[in-house]
Amino acid sequence: MNTKKPVRPQNVLTVKNLKVTFHTYAGDVKALDGVELSVKKGELLGLVGESGCGKSVTTLAIVGLLPANAEIVSGEVLLDGTNLLEMKKDDLRLIRLKDVAIIFQDPMTYLNPILSIGSQITEIIATDPELFIQKLIETRLNQIEAMQASPSGLDNESQAERERLRYASNGNRLGRKDLKRLTRLYAISILNSVRLPEPEKVFKMFPFELSGGMRQRAMIAMALVRRPKLILADEMTTALDVTVQAQTLQLLQQLKNTVDTSVLLITHDLAVVAEVCDRVAVMYAGNVVEVADVEELFKNPLHPYTQGLLASVPRIDVAVKDQTSIKGSVPDLIYPPSGCRFHPRCPRAFEKCPVAKPTLFEVSPGHHVSCFLYGE
Amino acid sequence: MVFVLFALSILIFYLTRGLLPASTALAPYINPRIGDAGKLSLARALGVATATCPSYQAFASEASGCIVPLWGQYYGWLMNVLTGNWGFTLLPGIAGTATTWSVFFSRFPYTAELAIAAAILTIAIGIPLGIVSATHNNKLPDHASRIISLGGYSVPQFWFGALLQILFVLYVRVNGAGLLPATGALTTTCAICIANPGQITTYSGLPMLDAILSLNFAYFWDSLVALALPSITLAITSIGALTRIVRSSMMDVLRQDYILLARSKGLKDSVVIYRHALRNAVLPAVTVSGLLVAYLLGGAVIVEIVFSWPGVGNASLAAADVLDINFLELYVLVTALIIVVTNLVVDVLYSIIDPRIRY
Amino acid sequence: MESERPSEADRFGRRADLKYSFYLLRRNPIVLAGCVISVFSVLLALLSPLLVNPSSWHAQDLNLRLCWNNPMYNWHIANVFDCAGSVYPLGTDMYGRSLSNMIILAIPIDLEIALEVVVSAVVIGVIFGSIAAYVGGVIDEIILRITDDFLAVPGILLAIVMIVVMGRSLPVLTFAVLITWWPFYVRLMRSQVLSEKEKPYVERLRAMGAGATRILFKHVVPNSIYPVLVQATLDIGAVILTVSALTFIGLTPSSLLPELGNLSNQGIQYIFTAPWLILFPGLTILVISLGFNLLGDGIRDIFDPRLRR
Repeated sequence: MNTKKPVRPQNVLTVKNLKVTFHTYAGDVKALDGVELSVKKGELLGLVGESGCGKSVTTLAIVGLLPANAEIVSGEVLLDGTNLLEMKKDDLRLIRLKDVAIIFQDPMTYLNPILSIGSQITEIIATDPELFIQKLIETRLNQIEAMQASPSGLDNESQAERERLRYASNGNRLGRKDLKRLTRLYAISILNSVRLPEPEKVFKMFPFELSGGMRQRAMIAMALVRRPKLILADEMTTALDVTVQAQTLQLLQQLKNTVDTSVLLITHDLAVVAEVCDRVAVMYAGNVVEVADVEELFKNPLHPYTQGLLASVPRIDVAVKDQTSIKGSVPDLIYPPSGCRFHPRCPRAFEKCPVAKPTLFEVSPGHHVSCFLYGE
Repeated sequence: MVFVLFALSILIFYLTRGLLPASTALAPYINPRIGDAGKLSLARALGVATATCPSYQAFASEASGCIVPLWGQYYGWLMNVLTGNWGFTLLPGIAGTATTWSVFFSRFPYTAELAIAAAILTIAIGIPLGIVSATHNNKLPDHASRIISLGGYSVPQFWFGALLQILFVLYVRVNGAGLLPATGALTTTCAICIANPGQITTYSGLPMLDAILSLNFAYFWDSLVALALPSITLAITSIGALTRIVRSSMMDVLRQDYILLARSKGLKDSVVIYRHALRNAVLPAVTVSGLLVAYLLGGAVIVEIVFSWPGVGNASLAAADVLDINFLELYVLVTALIIVVTNLVVDVLYSIIDPRIRY
Repeated sequence: MESERPSEADRFGRRADLKYSFYLLRRNPIVLAGCVISVFSVLLALLSPLLVNPSSWHAQDLNLRLCWNNPMYNWHIANVFDCAGSVYPLGTDMYGRSLSNMIILAIPIDLEIALEVVVSAVVIGVIFGSIAAYVGGVIDEIILRITDDFLAVPGILLAIVMIVVMGRSLPVLTFAVLITWWPFYVRLMRSQVLSEKEKPYVERLRAMGAGATRILFKHVVPNSIYPVLVQATLDIGAVILTVSALTFIGLTPSSLLPELGNLSNQGIQYIFTAPWLILFPGLTILVISLGFNLLGDGIRDIFDPRLRR
């Protein structure tokens, strides 16, 4: 099972009543209909749901990268208290640089094919070297200390470098050549920390020369180099083989602990959730319908959709014909169902469901549901 | 590459020698005063008449047994040409006074200057226009640049050149002279031309370059002014084409996933556009450069005629009129050489930009 | 309350596709303009013998040469002749013929040549390009080399040489332009077929025992031909530009011939004394080629599967 750190009570991210509509030729797609979400500091929150339920749209809405035909109708996105939706474009870009990192699904199409891996990492640092300089100097000084401890000791060049770095770390100027070298060494150390073999070689390689798992690690490295407060992992492992998947998830967990970041892990795979997440949120058709700690959710699913989801996971001891699934199909978001969007498929729907829209409320400590069956 | 040159020379040769009377083959080498016997021996020496041909009249009337078969003639021509003997020019006014080779290469720098200027304009205007168009899709800058681009490759170059001349020489007048000169690489009269720009020493043959090297900036300015209208005219079509290509490939690239990643990393917009998007988007544009060079060299013929520019394009028409085949052959081969070299450079450039090609 | 839902037929099927095409067309007024212009020029070409006497280009009246009496515009040039008699909307040329009439006579000539060149180039390109790509091997190499040769020369040069050698007539002009044009189509078709033949359905057809010719011409070619057709539409304008450039520099059968480039040739000689002579024929060329370029672009934009959603 996963090792959990005791979670501190504040929220890194709070999404309140987020509504997003896409204006298309075919009509207005009401993709997000009042999403409520929060990620606690230091936790790994899973976001589950079928394809098309709005998970990716939520991620893009958080960092302000929605396409041109999208409109944020209402809502708030609070990162450590600041509302991202009200920020100016430039400030939002800095947030993307420093605080929120996204890891995307398919590393083949998300990496620029004609730039080397190394340069795609160093360009992040080059965007604003001031932000990174302490870390750069620190890493290099540690390396030099390690060299000093080794049998061959420290040569003159490295000694001179150490002096320059100590001078620079007091807020003084750092030379351009030094900066370039430090950036490169720091990038290589990050590549090392995501367990890429021969990181100096990988630094110079191009995406097409790496395997899928290695490319995904490179993407993780691009997120880690910024030491963000929040990582949004959008179906990070979906494009990978199962064994590689396990390794990547393990890596993510370890890194989360060392770098002290919070993670929102989006997936449609319940097994992944069970393996690594602290808490889970379930999404359906643009709404979060249930949130709970992982064990609680699997033991005691409350929302009929969650129940249906868990029941439809294929089991080896149940014959195919006896498998259950949720009847019906995902609703058309241009003309969504009235009231609770799940009611046409819900086995326990009653008169109130098509009429009014349920909201998330707490049923038991830490366990929220959005369903009239449980009151309200 | 050499194969292309040979094939082309064969093509032109067969086309011309095959369809024209045999006596025209002698024209570039002939001294008008030699008699028929001299002409016959010249014809034999060139490999056009057989050794058994009885008289010049028989040869001129193409009696059977007198004319060497075309491939033999080609061989004779090739031997001459490879030793540098292209004969004397037939161009009106200077016929017989200078060799084809020297006439061609004394005029070629002017055409080169024109083509290079047009190429620079094409790249300097086409690429930014295409980028702006793609990044402001469906807004005013996009519409404006699409109109420019579309107009560019729909407009007849000779008409555009004439229009510019009418505007800047006839209508925009300052102190009684048109603003820009109507003709020639050297100034005639124009309002912003310098009255006596002085002399330059010839280093490269390219007037503007030589002017800089001779530190004669008055001459440089006059050359620039004279070059303005013709180079814009020559460039207009390729600007249109390049803008279109850059626009469409930029739009393609901007839709790609890695652009989204680049933005999500917090990179500045300019970095995303130039480092990530443009580098991928120029690949189709680079591929098409060979064609653009071909187009510029071809269009130079028309532009030189409209502006009376003293380059080879202008001369080639006169050469065609008097059937100066050697001149035309030389022209075709030099142009082909340039285009083939450009294509090679393009291939190399392509593999530098796109690392996937190298493997 | 459920809002009104569109029917199945409104969302899918041929009728919906057509509606979507028209929707895109309406949203793009520039393309619409292109359609209108090209249709209009074709109509004008077809109606031309009815509007102007087709043999009137032989008639010269040197008393009326180079005059302008259209009151709507004043050229502000010294010594513009004033024509006697009826108003000539676009002035007269150096033979005293009405310029507007000559332009109307010239349009069908130019369009006809353009059509001939483009259609022939498409046919040649389709045949040789698809054979080269499908059969591969030595044939492909040979065809590639030949097209390479032609592409290494600027078309105008080759055309000049050919016309000079073979005589100045309209058929020779058409042929010369065709010779410089076909390599593009061979290359284009070849690259289309190259990617098309890798598709799974081709292998399936081969496994079913279909012969190469049948596969090639009944299946592969119709699927690959779309960009070639788009290019052909665009090229109608480009061919008119090339043809008029060639006649402009004097490679016409007769200097009287009403052809847009030929008329401009006269215009260049009198550029500063009778500017209408070059402006209006050239403008006609511009508008016609603009129309076909817009049309070709529009077809490509509207039917490009990546842009339709």
